[in-house]
Amino acid sequence: MEGGVATNQRFPKIKIREIKDDYLKFELRETDASMANALRRVMIAEVPTIAIDLVEIEVNSSVLNDEFISHRLGLIPLTSDRAMGMRFSRDCDACDGDGQCEHCSVEFHLDVRCDQDQTLDVTSADLMSTDPSVLPVDVAAKSNSSAYDASENRGIIIVKLRRGQELRLRAIARKGIGKDHAKWSPAATVTFMYEPEIRINEEMMESLSIDEKRSWIESSPTKVFDIDPNTQQVVVTDPEAYTYDEEVIKKAEAMGKPGLVEIEAKEDSFIFTVESTGAIKASKLVVNAIEVLKQKLDAVRLSDDTVEADDQFGELGVHMRGG
Amino acid sequence: MNAPDRYERFVVPEGTKKVSYERDTKIINAASFTIEREDHTVGNILRMQLHRDPNVLFAGYKLPHPLQYKIIVRIHTASQSSPMQAYNQAINDLDKELDHLKTVFEEEVLKHSRDY
Repeated sequence: MEGGVATNQRFPKIKIREIKDDYLKFELRETDASMANALRRVMIAEVPTIAIDLVEIEVNSSVLNDEFISHRLGLIPLTSDRAMGMRFSRDCDACDGDGQCEHCSVEFHLDVRCDQDQTLDVTSADLMSTDPSVLPVDVAAKSNSSAYDASENRGIIIVKLRRGQELRLRAIARKGIGKDHAKWSPAATVTFMYEPEIRINEEMMESLSIDEKRSWIESSPTKVFDIDPNTQQVVVTDPEAYTYDEEVIKKAEAMGKPGLVEIEAKEDSFIFTVESTGAIKASKLVVNAIEVLKQKLDAVRLSDDTVEADDQFGELGVHMRGG
Repeated sequence: MNAPDRYERFVVPEGTKKVSYERDTKIINAASFTIEREDHTVGNILRMQLHRDPNVLFAGYKLPHPLQYKIIVRIHTASQSSPMQAYNQAINDLDKELDHLKTVFEEEVLKHSRDY
């Protein structure tokens, strides 16, 4: 390479604030908004999970029609730790896409009939999986009760049956991504915000009376500032509660004190909040998103034949330019 | 009925190249890369990374139409570099950044899983 290998690589920093199976809050620093946004977009739309995609109904005498039930089945989140290693059924060579293939699909069976006077709930717990690692997330959570209190968990209701009604079906779950259909999205919400930097002009602030300080603090719709009970000074209690509404800045101007506070968004610091549907752990979701983004970048590398074609053209170009 | 298949948004059709390169006919060291089945996710990180390269005089991307699933990245470099070189370096740098990000993230997760 001409001029040496000067890289412009960055070394971002990460700090986790809170971590739970389905919730994660972390700080991302020393990179830019394009990287933060790419990660967010990939987490929502391109990290693969498993969801029911094909339903064959044998008997359905319930009040809901076949396609309504199929749609409801598709929306049930399934544990998808296997998804990264699975194949998309469209690229699977081992099968013809009928769902019997272990590389690309998981089969479910459901067979419920109501023989009592009380209405019977058909729930995600009635879905029988052929693969013990792929289960509806609420069923999986129940079996390892350490995750959360399962006593209230009745399962995800699919349909209700009255006496004599029956539902019998076969369903095939496949790997997919949220771009194809939102049922494959592992993310409930993924957001990031710029970290705010709040600077109070202490000198100007001291020129305010205690009542003025209070009314200025009250002007913020969220609780960002407070008064220190000992020193009677205005302090920033929670900078991240600030929603960039600029109400405090307008209030300061209205009080005839422009420049009382300066608030800036740090352009290289982001606070991420990731909530998972339970299909994969929130921490795994981030790792998978990084992996998927890497794969995407690898796919957009130039192929060798393009480079060769350009080299020939390049020489020609030099001749044409009289080189 | 005649709706296009949903997968057309992200599966490159057979016989089509993922990335095609077209040199500018009027300006030396300028070129456009057409990337099939990609969007702002890749377009924006590539553009921002190219802006960090001092040899790049211009870098931009566009999504020509929301129903044409492709982006066009245009690069103009100084004479000591070339659009292709800048493009490759941007991808390499981003790739390394993501490698780094993955390691530091996993270290943090490990630290926190030990805590509780």
